[in-house]
Amino acid sequence: MWRRLFRKPSEADLAEELEAHLAIETKQWMDRGLPRDRAEMEARRLFGSRALTLEATREVRGIAAFGRFSQDLRYAARVLQRGRAFTIAAVLSLALGIGATTAVFSIYDTIFLRPLPYKDPAQLTWISIHSPSMGIDLVPSPNYVAWRRDNKTFQQLAATQVTFSNMMVLGGSNPAEVYAGRVSANFFETFGVTPAAGRTFRPEDELQGPQAAMLTDRFWREHFGARHDVLGTTLTLDGYPFTIVGILPKSFVYPVDVKVDVLFTLAISPTASLRDRSVSAFSVFGRIQPGVTVSQARADLGTQFETARKDFPGFFRGNSLVLESLRDYRTGNVGKFLYLLMAAAACLLAIACANVANLLLARWGARARELAVRAAIGAGRGRLARQLFTEVALLIAAGTALAMLFVTAALRGFVHFAGTELPRLSEVATDFRVFGIAVAVALLTAALFGALPALRAGRIDPQAVLQQAGRTGVSGGHSFLRRALVTLEVALSVILLSCASLLFETLWHMQNDHLGFQPEHVLTVSIPLRGKSFDTPARQAVASDILAYLRRIPGTESASLADCSPISAGVKSFTFSRADRPLPESFGLSRTLGACDSDAEYLQAAGIRLVQGRFLTDEDRHHPGAVAVLNEAAARAFFPGESPLGKQILGGRAGGWRTVVGVVADTKNQGLNRPAAPEVFLDDSAPSGFADLNFVVRTLAREGALAGALREEMRRSHPGLLTKVETLDQAIGQLTASPRFDTVLLAAFAAIAFLMAIVGVYGVLAFSVTQRRAEIGIRMALGASPRAVLAMVMREGTILVTLGALSGIAAALFLTRYLATLLYGVRGTDPATYAIVTGTLALAAAAASFLPARRAAIVDPALTLRHE
Amino acid sequence: MPDRIDLMQGTLDLLILQVLQWGPEHGHGIGQAIRRRSQEVLQVEHGSLYPALHRLEQKGWVASDWKMSEANRRARYYKLTPKGKRQLLQEQSRWRQLVRAVARTMKPVKE
Repeated sequence: MWRRLFRKPSEADLAEELEAHLAIETKQWMDRGLPRDRAEMEARRLFGSRALTLEATREVRGIAAFGRFSQDLRYAARVLQRGRAFTIAAVLSLALGIGATTAVFSIYDTIFLRPLPYKDPAQLTWISIHSPSMGIDLVPSPNYVAWRRDNKTFQQLAATQVTFSNMMVLGGSNPAEVYAGRVSANFFETFGVTPAAGRTFRPEDELQGPQAAMLTDRFWREHFGARHDVLGTTLTLDGYPFTIVGILPKSFVYPVDVKVDVLFTLAISPTASLRDRSVSAFSVFGRIQPGVTVSQARADLGTQFETARKDFPGFFRGNSLVLESLRDYRTGNVGKFLYLLMAAAACLLAIACANVANLLLARWGARARELAVRAAIGAGRGRLARQLFTEVALLIAAGTALAMLFVTAALRGFVHFAGTELPRLSEVATDFRVFGIAVAVALLTAALFGALPALRAGRIDPQAVLQQAGRTGVSGGHSFLRRALVTLEVALSVILLSCASLLFETLWHMQNDHLGFQPEHVLTVSIPLRGKSFDTPARQAVASDILAYLRRIPGTESASLADCSPISAGVKSFTFSRADRPLPESFGLSRTLGACDSDAEYLQAAGIRLVQGRFLTDEDRHHPGAVAVLNEAAARAFFPGESPLGKQILGGRAGGWRTVVGVVADTKNQGLNRPAAPEVFLDDSAPSGFADLNFVVRTLAREGALAGALREEMRRSHPGLLTKVETLDQAIGQLTASPRFDTVLLAAFAAIAFLMAIVGVYGVLAFSVTQRRAEIGIRMALGASPRAVLAMVMREGTILVTLGALSGIAAALFLTRYLATLLYGVRGTDPATYAIVTGTLALAAAAASFLPARRAAIVDPALTLRHE
Repeated sequence: MPDRIDLMQGTLDLLILQVLQWGPEHGHGIGQAIRRRSQEVLQVEHGSLYPALHRLEQKGWVASDWKMSEANRRARYYKLTPKGKRQLLQEQSRWRQLVRAVARTMKPVKE
């Protein structure tokens, strides 16, 4: 066997074979008595043209080896080239279906299947103490220190701290935002990260607090031009000096999904205790010892946690220890959004396949003659099926190539718009894995089509077709299959359309619901004041300086210093209390309200309506802490059925009660898709020691003009301060960016699906009319009016669409319950939505069936019948 | 020399298989055997014989091997494979059918 495989039909072999033939012939002539030269001549004469024989034999070998395939391929390419419109429609459908599926599954792959970018990632775990009442997962530093010291199952336990606002200001003449992460010294050992240059942190760095800094590769390139001499130099952030000790490798990925430019050491006190007045808390990651399972590690830390809980029962009430693999932690909070997209992409691929299958069946129907002729002159069924499948394969290959373009664009869009919504998305890249997924999807598509050519080739009956030669009737058959495919397409697109329009309505509600304020012409200015030099008097001086300047800029109507904005509550919060009731015993989320320090002009600047009483006045500032203004949500929550005006609230055992003087309208202070939270406006005008200065400005000037003037002034009077200016519209736009992306994406999917379904309906009817021309001609000859014929064809379309739409709506009603958490302002079963979707589809389908119907109605019976 | 008859499409394969059922033979021998057994009526063009042999080998009906020939040099000997034997039986019965059918058609019709 191996000899047969290895013995290639070489040119020399063939020549030798023919040489041998001549030699034998020569010998035979010599045996009959001819001299050698005569015998050779005779042999050659009898043999004829050696070149021709060689050529003919060579051809046999060549074609059989791979010639059949390339012949099929060439033929398929020619066929596809001839039907250009068909080919474009089919390739585009496949490209969209394959592209959408590949993009979405690449994201799935990145999140769930790609190995984490760390050494031995299976050993890495995430550990926290879960506090359901506070809704947080953190480990207090004393527990971390004890665990790190006493555990028996870990190689390393690392701590990180990422506060929500990890932004710092880079010092120097050109202030910039820098995002910082704080890690324990053993962080790099834990994750198996070695620096690209310099060193990592040392254990003693933890004791001194943050002094050493490591730069991420990106930050190092952007800010330091990738210079190696930055090692050992000083970086000033928020006014504090840090020494650059190392540079992280390019492949480094921070284990928490936040932006990080610089890493510092955490200050970890070995003697910290839960009895201390304030305790820092960390996110903890551990590398377990080889051979130790996650549950063993959990048991190990579990005993330690129980001991701590016995010592501080009040502190850990209701808390529990959570320990899971890093992979589970990183993938745990994947939103429903991804599953929605996967389902939508799968739908789209199914519709694309159904559509292309339909187009192919119609086309092959039209080519029945050609196929029959090929069968008649000796092509077997297998051969024909292979030929048809080659066409399909060529279409899929072209579709996949085009799909790669879509995928590249789509993944860019994802990273840009959905980066905050899905974990690990920063690791997405168009690479061979993505290509592999595309190939897998393409193969799946091919498998879906696999049966089609065999089915078609199996139905070829040369005699029947050829006997009809000259007739226009096309023997296509498959009408049931084609109708079923179109019904499926319609149903799937109804599902997609329903989901897309529900999301669209959500977006509309988010942007157009009563905001409670007028966002036009409102700017927010934020100026971080960082560093030791900004003590309270200094901050106050800067604040009033800037406020005065803002009011001087031409166009300013009002400017206010407030640590909240209409779309975000302040950073502070209080537990609600009132003087005429007993004090609340403990901190509870249901009794909290956000607090916003603001001044008299805030209401006017933000454009918020006053409901009752009065707002804060300049007069109040002379005796801060005396009055409070509630929003309507707070008035409803804490003073149901009574007027809050004049009530004493927010005091403590030591007194310090504040009098409620007014109620203002609610704003979307928790973001656009959530109801307003209770909020109180206070006149504590002194900017607190760590918060940034925030101004709300109502101006007639353009944003750019005001920002320019302000920066100019800041450079002159307060050099080194960073100024961020944003319109409220921009801020709202950012809040709606990711829902908008979801909606646009799904709407795009739905639109494509819709289009394909309509094309499908049109295709089936047009084909059916062509097929039934003779029948229609006879009907008309027998007296059917054009109107009746029109109605007949339209009815056929209506049945298809109705069946599809009904099953689609049934499925959508069932499926949209999983969408509930993504919706706002509209219910998953909203009848209006379904009515609109169905109506639109019905109209489009009617239009699609009208064209073929009209063609049927203008059939000239005389012409058709004569043609027969 | 008697008149030569060009071989019908497809019959050459049958003849080659038929010749090979008596044992391995090289191209020259196969051509000669066909000529002899047809009493010099069937002349096989070498330009058809060798492509046919290679085609049959591709289909797996015959296998080939290099052996010493009577001319004292290497020649490629072809032999029937089991698959080829089955094919030969099929072709034989199909051929007989064809011959009978053609014969019936050629017979003058007696009314």
